[in-house]
Amino acid sequence: MSGTNGKRLLLVEDDGELASTLLARLRESDYAVEHHSDGREGLAAALAGDFDALIVDRMLPGMDGLDLVKALRQRKDTPVIYLTTMSGIDDRVAGLDAGGDDYLTKPFAFAELLARIRVLTRRATHPPSRLTAGSIEMDLLARTVTRDGRDIDLVPQEFRLLEYLMKNADRVVTRKMLLENVWNVYFDPGTNVVESHISRLRTSLKQGFSTDPIQTVRGEGYRLLASQ
Amino acid sequence: MRVNRIIKSGTFRLAAAFSALFLVLTGALMGTVLWIVDNTQTETLVRANDADTETVLNGFSDEGIDEAVEVVRQRLGNVKYSTASRPDCFMVLENGSGAVLAGNLPAQPRRIGDFTTTLRDTRIRGRGTPIGEGAYLFVGRDLGPVAVTRERIIDAFIWVTAGALGIASVTGVLLGRRFTRRVDAVARACKSIIAGRLDERIEVQGYNDEWDRLASAINDMLNRIAALLENLRQVSSDVAHDLRTPLARLRNRLENARAESTSTTQYAQAIAGAIVDADQILSMFAALLRISQVEAGGRLAKFANVNLSELCENVFRMYQPVAEDYAHKLTANFDDGAQVRGDAELLTQMFTNLIENAIHHTPSGTAIHLLMRIAQDTVYLSVEDTGPGIAADQTEKVFRRFYRLASSRTTAGHGLGLALVSAVVQLHDGGIDLADAHPGLRVNVRFPVNCDR
Repeated sequence: MSGTNGKRLLLVEDDGELASTLLARLRESDYAVEHHSDGREGLAAALAGDFDALIVDRMLPGMDGLDLVKALRQRKDTPVIYLTTMSGIDDRVAGLDAGGDDYLTKPFAFAELLARIRVLTRRATHPPSRLTAGSIEMDLLARTVTRDGRDIDLVPQEFRLLEYLMKNADRVVTRKMLLENVWNVYFDPGTNVVESHISRLRTSLKQGFSTDPIQTVRGEGYRLLASQ
Repeated sequence: MRVNRIIKSGTFRLAAAFSALFLVLTGALMGTVLWIVDNTQTETLVRANDADTETVLNGFSDEGIDEAVEVVRQRLGNVKYSTASRPDCFMVLENGSGAVLAGNLPAQPRRIGDFTTTLRDTRIRGRGTPIGEGAYLFVGRDLGPVAVTRERIIDAFIWVTAGALGIASVTGVLLGRRFTRRVDAVARACKSIIAGRLDERIEVQGYNDEWDRLASAINDMLNRIAALLENLRQVSSDVAHDLRTPLARLRNRLENARAESTSTTQYAQAIAGAIVDADQILSMFAALLRISQVEAGGRLAKFANVNLSELCENVFRMYQPVAEDYAHKLTANFDDGAQVRGDAELLTQMFTNLIENAIHHTPSGTAIHLLMRIAQDTVYLSVEDTGPGIAADQTEKVFRRFYRLASSRTTAGHGLGLALVSAVVQLHDGGIDLADAHPGLRVNVRFPVNCDR
């Protein structure tokens, strides 16, 4: 039960069908996954094992997902993503207050979960004052961006968008993740807000360059390529 | 049965408790009065005895025993008789050998000082005094009048108390009956509602007393419940009706795929289409759930201080590139430093829904103007466009769930945007209306700056 990307996940989910689908697809994606369907067993496993991230259902037999995370946080800071039913929209704040790191409402696209796990399991670093992705450099204190040393002018929302992409360089970020993290919007606004902003950012970054550092991943989201 | 109910009523019990308290207090008062009157009357008798004793002693010390005898005789000559055989004053003067020298009593045991005794069945307050040369003087007074006063006071108290208790009981029964009747009215209405007559209401009698206030509060609650039930009924029928269309489309697509697909590419296309259909259904569900959450009012608890100027500015910046992509001209004018109480997330969604509508339901080149200002503790927020507008007879209907104008049936959307906007506005205790912007549409939203309810 050891994945080839070296990342270990713990899935605590009591819905058998969803759990087996997730297990199969996470293993396909080279994660080593341990599964429990009972909240108390899940907590024991989380405390005993060494996991890179936890995927925890909000409603569990034995112990509620929220209580599980609260108990876990007293001992460990393993990143946690909650899974919740649609009627639990309002639980997001409570979930994050209890010490969770991210929140995903069922039903979700598997790509969405995968993208969020990749972001959660990135090696924790100290909050940097400078970000670098390939030829792009960002100074978070001076709020300036350069590409190959040339200044790039960005409006504040483009800056925040690029900051999030750079922090997760080479990882896919979904539309939902961008809406939540860049605009604090936790609902589907309907139009292509993200697309419009990405297209502005692309134009700004490409000015005078031949390559496009932002890659569109069809049906999933976007990826900032650090190699460009 | 009926009397039993009255006796069991809270009012009657309260009246009974107060009557008992009244009895105890009356008893205490009566005891005090008796004690004071007794003491005062007895003291008067003691003083009279003292005065008589003094007179006899003075006679004795001035002119000897004969004069004392004379004084006693004179004094007894003035004695009043309450009845033929009961004088109000008794005296006896004895010499050293115990012989009665004067008086209206036989010889007395020579008790000294102030005391109470019984002589011939009469309670007497008396005083015995040795007056010299072995002589002894007894002066006494009948305690009968004191006892009579005492009996009269007790009688008076008994009558007054009995009368008061009688009045209290009658009042208790009458009040109890009145209150029982009003409680019965409330209980009857509730039972009737439980039995299914949901439009039943409790009669408000117009006295504006606590019963009327209770009745109004219950009626308000019933109205709210009725509105929620109606809402629920409406949602259920909406869901049944409007989700059938996309579900039918999904089913057709899958059926066609099974019947007609011959390659994996075709299957993949069909599945991708089916996922799009399913996502659309799910987003309708999410929107419906959100509306009902907002309408249920549970989010009131999440109200906090919101910097509305910042919120509006963020939404405006968020939509600027979108409007440009649709070749719309988006402008804004917001008051600075606007602080309100509300749900930031819902206010954001309300505002974005209005802007989305303006962008989607107008042709390219439309000018859209956003406005937010605060005047007299009210927030005015409007989204105005120069598009085709909405016919006057449609302006109410567009707030209904799933309602879509004929002109916008072909554009994307599920007809829930304005229903949510309306729910959010109501949650913030505000109002919304659609106005003709000549040309175009102006959506006006207003809500109080502080809507903590």
